[in-house]
Amino acid sequence: MRASPLHNKFAALGATFAAQHGREIVARIADRPAEYAAVREVVGLTDFSFVQKFRVPEATGLDFLDSLVAGNVPRIRFGRVLHTFLSNDDGLLLADCYIANNDQEFIFLCESIVPDAEILRILDAAGLKAAGAEDLTETHVLLGIDGVRAWEVVKEAFGADVLGLPYLSVEVYPFEGTSVYLFRAGKTAEFGYQLLAPVAVAEALFDKLHGLAQKSGGRCCGFDVHNDLRLEGRFFNIHAEGARVRDPLVLGLQWMVDFEKEKFGGAAAINRRRAEGLNQKIVGVAVEPGNRELAVGAKIIEGGQVIGEVVADCFSGVLNRQIGLAVLPVAWAYSGLTFRLESGEPVQTISMPPIMPKSLKVKLDEV
Amino acid sequence: MTSNQDIITRRAQITATFKEELIRRLNLPFTPEDIHEDVSLFGSGLGLDSLDALEIVLCAESCFKLKFPEDGAPILRSINTIVDFVIAEQDKQGVQP
Repeated sequence: MRASPLHNKFAALGATFAAQHGREIVARIADRPAEYAAVREVVGLTDFSFVQKFRVPEATGLDFLDSLVAGNVPRIRFGRVLHTFLSNDDGLLLADCYIANNDQEFIFLCESIVPDAEILRILDAAGLKAAGAEDLTETHVLLGIDGVRAWEVVKEAFGADVLGLPYLSVEVYPFEGTSVYLFRAGKTAEFGYQLLAPVAVAEALFDKLHGLAQKSGGRCCGFDVHNDLRLEGRFFNIHAEGARVRDPLVLGLQWMVDFEKEKFGGAAAINRRRAEGLNQKIVGVAVEPGNRELAVGAKIIEGGQVIGEVVADCFSGVLNRQIGLAVLPVAWAYSGLTFRLESGEPVQTISMPPIMPKSLKVKLDEV
Repeated sequence: MTSNQDIITRRAQITATFKEELIRRLNLPFTPEDIHEDVSLFGSGLGLDSLDALEIVLCAESCFKLKFPEDGAPILRSINTIVDFVIAEQDKQGVQP
């Protein structure tokens, strides 16, 4: 089991840990509503060190990275981050990936639903060593700062120019005699930043960010609450709908793919399925307040026939009801419809994202 | 009460019109089938910017003969939220689906 270098810091806060594909994650610290409220109302600090991380020199690693992922790596502009995925030869999802172009190097972050060793085997086969890639997974931590006031924490820590960073960008900042990478790249619909830092300064960075988050009224969070935050903000979640559906086309992830690319892992299978046309599609669903029967595995029924299944669920604090994602036949995959659950309770298909995050009302150039 | 089939027919028509026009105006490298109706239009997702936002508003206004409110940002979260707005406006104006 690979544990985070910050395990003791989170254990001291009373964290509960969980195993996920051979990695230890901080599942939760406080109760879920408190962690949820921290992100939606203030700021939450989360340990994402379970993510695999690599530094890849541009000169030797550009083709290597481009042959792996579905997105177009050569088109990533300097200072920007590409959000894409890694799939197997059958075109089924393995990992949700960020690739950052930091001038002479790329930083490759890989949040996967398979053990580290399987990702490494795929990277090795694609030429990891020849690409000169450096595995940062055990030598670096990844901390996430998410929330409507997350910008306040990173501004205090690294200076006001962080406020000018656009979504999906990267910048390097000095910290305690070394450098840390700051990604503007959250998946909660609120302001989000991720910090990649060497283990040598991990505890100092954690202490600084934790102190600033507390000063802003925020707190540390576990990863479990991010499942809710991602769904509510309609960000793709590799650990929820991604792990259950696996097919990026059914999941609506075509935007992560450069269909003009000749080669990437699973390209042939994905292009074949695209040419054949989709039979199923993922849609948002919701039930009336008080109904808790909308859960993963629940069947969606129309005219007495099962037509679909729920593949992700959470309680939306903003909407005060259970919401989810379901896979339905394309002919039924429209917002605004009413179906039934097996219990006979109505379930509606809804437009996503269903919430208006508070961060959209904050203008960083005016703070 | 409107039946599921009526809702599907109306939404499918509005969505197809809007997607085709959006792809043409913004020269997006996708077919209409490639663009999921819930995908975020900005940031992660289609990755459009503030200039594109203006084009999206103009696209919807010209396609459906309606006016976006000045503070219409919440409507622009996804194609589905734009289609919701179009349907609500058509209903207000008494436009026959």
